Amino acid sequence: MTLTLDCTVARGGFTLRTGLRLGAAATGIFGPSGAGKSTLLQLVAGLVRPASGRVELDGTVLDDAAAGIHLPPHRRRLGVVFQHGLLLPHLDVAANLSYGERLVPAGERRFARAQVVELLELGDLLARRPRQLSGGQRQRVALGRALLCSPRLLLLDEPLSALDRGLKRQILPFLQRVRASCGIPILHVSHDLGELLEVTDELVLLDRGAVVAQGALPAVARDPRALPLLHDCGLANTLRGTVARHAPADGLTVVDLGGGRELHCPLLDAPPGSAIALQLRPEDIAVAGMAIPDISLTNQLPARITAITPAPDRVLLTVDLGQPLLVEVSARTVHHQGLAVGATVWVLFKAMALRAR
Amino acid sequence: MLSAEEWQVVALSLQVAAAALALMALPGIACGWLLARVNFPGRALLDTLIHLPLVLPPVVTGWLLLAACGRRSWLGGLLWEWFGVRLVFDWKGAVLAAAVMAFPLLVRAVRLAIELGDRDLERAAATCGAGPWRVFATVTLPLAAPGILAGLVLAFARCLGEFGATITLAGNIPGESRTLPVAIWTWTQVPDGEPQVWRLVALSLLVSVLALAGSEWLARRLRGRMGLE
Repeated sequence: MTLTLDCTVARGGFTLRTGLRLGAAATGIFGPSGAGKSTLLQLVAGLVRPASGRVELDGTVLDDAAAGIHLPPHRRRLGVVFQHGLLLPHLDVAANLSYGERLVPAGERRFARAQVVELLELGDLLARRPRQLSGGQRQRVALGRALLCSPRLLLLDEPLSALDRGLKRQILPFLQRVRASCGIPILHVSHDLGELLEVTDELVLLDRGAVVAQGALPAVARDPRALPLLHDCGLANTLRGTVARHAPADGLTVVDLGGGRELHCPLLDAPPGSAIALQLRPEDIAVAGMAIPDISLTNQLPARITAITPAPDRVLLTVDLGQPLLVEVSARTVHHQGLAVGATVWVLFKAMALRAR
Repeated sequence: MLSAEEWQVVALSLQVAAAALALMALPGIACGWLLARVNFPGRALLDTLIHLPLVLPPVVTGWLLLAACGRRSWLGGLLWEWFGVRLVFDWKGAVLAAAVMAFPLLVRAVRLAIELGDRDLERAAATCGAGPWRVFATVTLPLAAPGILAGLVLAFARCLGEFGATITLAGNIPGESRTLPVAIWTWTQVPDGEPQVWRLVALSLLVSVLALAGSEWLARRLRGRMGLE
């Protein structure tokens, strides 16, 4: 998939300027509210027209302001999941699911209905009306409806932000499942960085209608302009590993990060061997010249510094734990401990600072 | 219980109102949608034209219709020559008069129902591949249906009560244009006609209450079927 956006969108007093080329399997569009994230998504969906410039998807021109080309939304063959689901209230779940499917010629359908129903566990809901569904169920149906449109690209517009934390945790695995098994590129808009990091592999950071940075999180975070924004939006590391064993007496689970590295986190409800993603905030990590015994910083791992990014109010270190880890420290710490790229330090953090989503 | 003449009056009233409703339903929905959704040149003019019968004295509307549709007028002549349709002093004239008078009420209700509809739902349907007509038929119209129904009921009631334009255009001919209100007025002009006036007033009340109750029942079923209740 290649999506190129080189255009401006004017909306009221707000202008969105994009010069983007997106090709990742899943891209996260991220930024504070008012940054233009949803406008960007609506641009791709064809719900707003660019004032100037072009939008192109896999060689198809979706918009070309100069040539007067605007492919209307219903001819774009995209799947969109909106923040509030926007299921049709007068139709039951089965009819909502087939709404877009019926409009796709039989030979061009990418999924069987039964397959989507099973993937998203919708079997028990088919006869219900949208108002009889919980927020989480609604979003699962909306996701199913979008998939059954056999889209070339799946657009997710803050699909989880109307849900509370617990429900979010229930829906995220479905998004990951869709990502892993459907083979449809995803454009996912959110103001929640943690959510994006679990579903996407590339980020586009927007602020006040402009693209600030683009790339994988560690690369984006090294951009000094990006750091304050990331920090405000809940910048968190995602550490991926597998459950090694549980230690119920200690109230801890041991997670294998690979490369002989292990860490402790609060007791998890997952069988040994299962893959796990843990969130860790950069400001919850301490840096020391050596391991420190007899302290409640249970996790102590040596790591090499690969980058130092100074921002006005803080310094972001990137260290290598087999996977990149972002650490926020003060400028004082950097001078005081003589931190430099290439040096090896110990990163220390409490088991309780780790969070499984 | 009812005399043959009273039956004739009630049957004619219902026939005229039903025919007027059938005549204006589609144009009414179309105009309501147009005014709610489309910005086109002449929009204000159409809006004014539709609403004119609401503010004009009904007898003026009736007179203008008579001038437009009389056999000697251009339009009336065409109707007579091409379709053999006569409007003046005919029940079809009563239908036209009732429809014109009730039309603004229908358009206002439809327009409001469509304006209140959630446009985001229409956008969502479009992203599923539905073109504008399909979106209208499968989203806009069903969601506005309760409001449109309310408009149709209001229009029907207005048709049943139409007097001024009807008597001006179609006259007061038993079996052709003597509807309930016209019949009531006729009896008020007759010495000692008061008992008959009361019988017709009671009939009028009964017909209106039944129409209202029926529409309420229909609206509840509709809302239930649409999952709105």
